[in-house]
Amino acid sequence: MASFNRAMLIGNLTRDPEVRATPTGISVADLRLAVNEDYKDKNGQVVKRTCFVDVVVWDKQAELCRKYLTRGSTVYIEGRLQMDEWTTQDGQKRSKIRVRADRVQFLGSPKGAGSAPQGSRDEDFPLPAEDLEEAAPVDEAG
Amino acid sequence: MASLNRVFLIGNLTRDPEVRYLSSGKAVGDLRLAVSRRYKTATGEERDETCFVSVVVWGRQAETCGQYLAKGSSLFVEGRLNYEEWEKDGQKNNRLRVVADRVQFMGAPKRAEYSDSADSAAGVPARSGAREEAPAEPPPDTGNDDNLPF
Repeated sequence: MASFNRAMLIGNLTRDPEVRATPTGISVADLRLAVNEDYKDKNGQVVKRTCFVDVVVWDKQAELCRKYLTRGSTVYIEGRLQMDEWTTQDGQKRSKIRVRADRVQFLGSPKGAGSAPQGSRDEDFPLPAEDLEEAAPVDEAG
Repeated sequence: MASLNRVFLIGNLTRDPEVRYLSSGKAVGDLRLAVSRRYKTATGEERDETCFVSVVVWGRQAETCGQYLAKGSSLFVEGRLNYEEWEKDGQKNNRLRVVADRVQFMGAPKRAEYSDSADSAAGVPARSGAREEAPAEPPPDTGNDDNLPF
């Protein structure tokens, strides 16, 4: 039977990666990803929508996540949807969809790059855009 | 900020589509998709792993799903993950569902539109099979199943 299962996401970590090891010594990283999207509603109003996705990363890649990612880091994730099932203490069955990553691509600069800390760097982003806007009329005048 | 949210799935419905209408008249379809995967364990043993995904389909596509899909139907879904949160008995719950942008039916429709009443009159159980395939094929292809690439 034909079957296919692929998810592709770009988002930011809502917290630092949590890395643990299985009893056999394989590393597993749990990432919590916020995927922000903007869309326009019927009235043309821009609406922000955030999708929180739990991502599981295994092995060597999990180690790399621990080393280079931190809360706020932007990542590209490619993997498959995976359903985890468990029973609660009061006997209720629960399930949860997570993304099991095959590929994790770090976007943006690594946490230890020696540049400005994450928080202030984000605040710096609007500045170049403003500079450009100011520069544009001058060019036209000249 | 760059962002991407895309999911592609091929699977089978674990139950008939549930289609309802909002007060605005817009149709919403709830599909439950089983996506299975076969893999080998470290010891070489073959195992199946199934992921059950809830898929939401909107508008016209929801209506076509209700019309042509049934439990067991195979389909391709392209869409995005949607995070939903709600509160029940003071407890916060959340889940991820796929909101479909595109639904592609794979395989034969559940029944030809006209044979709807005939099926129930004859008391034929819901077993699909050859009976459904004949009316499902487009006219030029009749009897040429062998030439199909799948």
